[in-house]
Amino acid sequence: MNHFPEAWGRPRNDVYGVYDASHLQSSMPNQHTQSPIVTGTSVVALKFNGGVVIAADNLASYGSLARFTDIERLKQVGTHTIVGAGGDISDMQYLHEKLLDPLIIKEEYQNDGHHLRASHIYRYLSKVLYHRRSKFNPLWNTLLVAGWDDGKPFLASADLLGTTFSAPALSTGYGAQLAVPLLRRICPDEAAVENITREQAVAAVEECMKVLFYRDARSLSKYSLAIITREDVESAEGETKERVNIEWKKDIELQNQSWKFAEGIRGYGAQVV
Amino acid sequence: MFRNNYDNDSVTFSPQGRIFQVEYALEAIKQGSVAVGLVSKTHAVLVALKRNAEELGSYQKKIIGIDTHLGVALAGLAPDARVLSNFMRQQSMSSRLLYSRPVPISRVVNAIADKAQVNTQHYGRRPYGVGLLVAGVDETGPHLWEFQPSGMVLEYKGAAIGARSQSARTYLERAFEEFVDSSREELVLHGLKALRDSLAQDKELTVANTTVSVVGIGENFKLYDGDEVGEWLEKLGNVQSSRGGRTGEEAAESMDTSE
Amino acid sequence: MPSSTSIGTGYDLSNSVFSPDGRNFQVEYATKAVENGGTAIGIRCKDGVVLAVEKLIGSKLLVPGSNKRIASVDNHIGIACSGLIPDARHFTSRARTEASNWRKLYRSPIPISSMADAMGGYAQLYTLYSSVRPFGVTAIIGGMDEAGGPGLWMVEPSGVGWGYFGAATGRGRQAAKAELEKLPLPNITVEEAVKQAARIIYFAHDDNSKDKDFELEMTWVRLEKGSAEGLGEGVSAKGWGKHEEVPKELVAEAERLAKESMEGGGDEEMEE
Repeated sequence: MNHFPEAWGRPRNDVYGVYDASHLQSSMPNQHTQSPIVTGTSVVALKFNGGVVIAADNLASYGSLARFTDIERLKQVGTHTIVGAGGDISDMQYLHEKLLDPLIIKEEYQNDGHHLRASHIYRYLSKVLYHRRSKFNPLWNTLLVAGWDDGKPFLASADLLGTTFSAPALSTGYGAQLAVPLLRRICPDEAAVENITREQAVAAVEECMKVLFYRDARSLSKYSLAIITREDVESAEGETKERVNIEWKKDIELQNQSWKFAEGIRGYGAQVV
Repeated sequence: MFRNNYDNDSVTFSPQGRIFQVEYALEAIKQGSVAVGLVSKTHAVLVALKRNAEELGSYQKKIIGIDTHLGVALAGLAPDARVLSNFMRQQSMSSRLLYSRPVPISRVVNAIADKAQVNTQHYGRRPYGVGLLVAGVDETGPHLWEFQPSGMVLEYKGAAIGARSQSARTYLERAFEEFVDSSREELVLHGLKALRDSLAQDKELTVANTTVSVVGIGENFKLYDGDEVGEWLEKLGNVQSSRGGRTGEEAAESMDTSE
Repeated sequence: MPSSTSIGTGYDLSNSVFSPDGRNFQVEYATKAVENGGTAIGIRCKDGVVLAVEKLIGSKLLVPGSNKRIASVDNHIGIACSGLIPDARHFTSRARTEASNWRKLYRSPIPISSMADAMGGYAQLYTLYSSVRPFGVTAIIGGMDEAGGPGLWMVEPSGVGWGYFGAATGRGRQAAKAELEKLPLPNITVEEAVKQAARIIYFAHDDNSKDKDFELEMTWVRLEKGSAEGLGEGVSAKGWGKHEEVPKELVAEAERLAKESMEGGGDEEMEE
């Protein structure tokens, strides 16, 4: 019996030889996040005449496990903007709690009539994401920034590589494959936005959420949706000012599901033929 | 002889709660030549009187462009103004880089004010010896701010700093109700009139010693020097100085000789 | 004025030096700077806090409504200062850092008393060394929190800080204090306090700087309207209100009443 506690439970040197600790020396490069852990899937958004609609389900998956079913992946940032996040949930929470919330508090206590609008927040997030990927330590997210900016609806995406992209119909994750083609049917380009009503846009996004729930195994039938619009309000001094409205719909359950189509699916799963 | 023991540094209060070193720094502004700023609903204008050290020497720089939407006029220690204006340029660039937003005028002004305040509270530092007029346009419209070495900043409709600037202020106080609604050209002329009022008896505005800058809603900051200000001075020549003295013709003549 | 025991002794020429009778004259002189500033007051109510300052206007060329004197330092806290304005900006900027650090550490807004503690500590630091001078500022810190409800504190250049129901500093503090003491604090609502604050600032102005122009600047922190209803004597609402400017219409109405009461003569009846 060896009476030195530090030796207990270890291979005995006299039997196995001295432990080779060389691999513990950190001559290796630093390693950062190599993959996301708890993840959210698609965020879907579409511009329409007079605003933007954006939606994301409430699921946070741990691998293929549906781990949390009450996660809000759309968040209002300031008065003009919604940020929707797909990818790593803890990175999303870091982004909001440690970066965006303080940023908005700082912006608002200036009380000088200036506010960070959607394009400003989008630029900031793009810079943060690009900066982190350049340190080989990315924030593992794809973000959609939706809002009202400079008299127009605003919608753009930024991802963990620092890639930035803007289009009138956007989606992250699986939705980029499944939802965007559906949305492009009614909104092929920026010019088409003018002819899309709010009702059409909301219906299209709702349809996308349904298709995604059918086809995306990491999705949930419960989701949130936000509609950003603007209106003119008259101030006490009689001048008309623009006010941005953000209308929230939370805990929406997918209605009228039909899984008939699933019977026709062949090629994987349990069926033999 | 009475000696003031409380004016050796900026970390000593006098028994009345004054900080003499800071007050002396304010005096440094008055050593510089006059600069005037004013705003209308659409434009912000800076005008200033440039001095030259000797006949063959160049005229000093009085107005510094910071960004496409703002610039400053200075009175006092020019090197201090360069430090501050470089800092303002950095702030401006970082705002554009980080948020793709031209920096709001009040924020860049507050940033230099905070910098200046620190120099009034720590031993071994001296307050800045320069006053600035910051003119710019942002989303909330045209703005004019005055910066002082004490770290004090105030927003004005019209302001003047530097030697004999009280006369310019008197003009502005009389005219501000008019120039608030005036056109771009009228605003510049109001500025030049205010500037002219604060000239010494034997001095006049010439294309060599007058400098003008204009920035407006939808119009980038631009500096006008030399012949570019000639047209304004000609228009000004026809107007009687509000302090009396020179007539329009005399002013026009003196301009000829200066070229 | 400073007592004759200070000038000429040499003990008043440097910060952080005690005189033989145990005083720090530089701190006392800093307080002098405060006493020359525009009046600032704070009122603690059942359902929030009201801050008001008398902003002296040195020139008619100044842009009305600009050059704010009351600052927000977080969503739920406001600071009104009297004294050297650049010092006040430094002071509030530090308060913002404190609020932000607290949020980073505890993931919640800083309680008002903790903010007052932190800022008292910061002001005190500037009395310790001969290489710095004290703040020429007295700050009224007001806000609402979950623990204590409405909170109102005043921090002086020495770093000392007390909690108040009604606080006043600056040139008209004596007159303002006398008026504050007549109010049934803290058992009034913010709506009432807005009117009283306006009246007190007008009263203090009339008493001390009658020849100067001024603007009244007022902010409040409170829960939603009507939250004071049903609260018993000495019981206050709790929660995170928002520090913001009092709506223009309310300020205008309060100013109208204040002017009316000034015209009514010296010892007018208080409303309600």
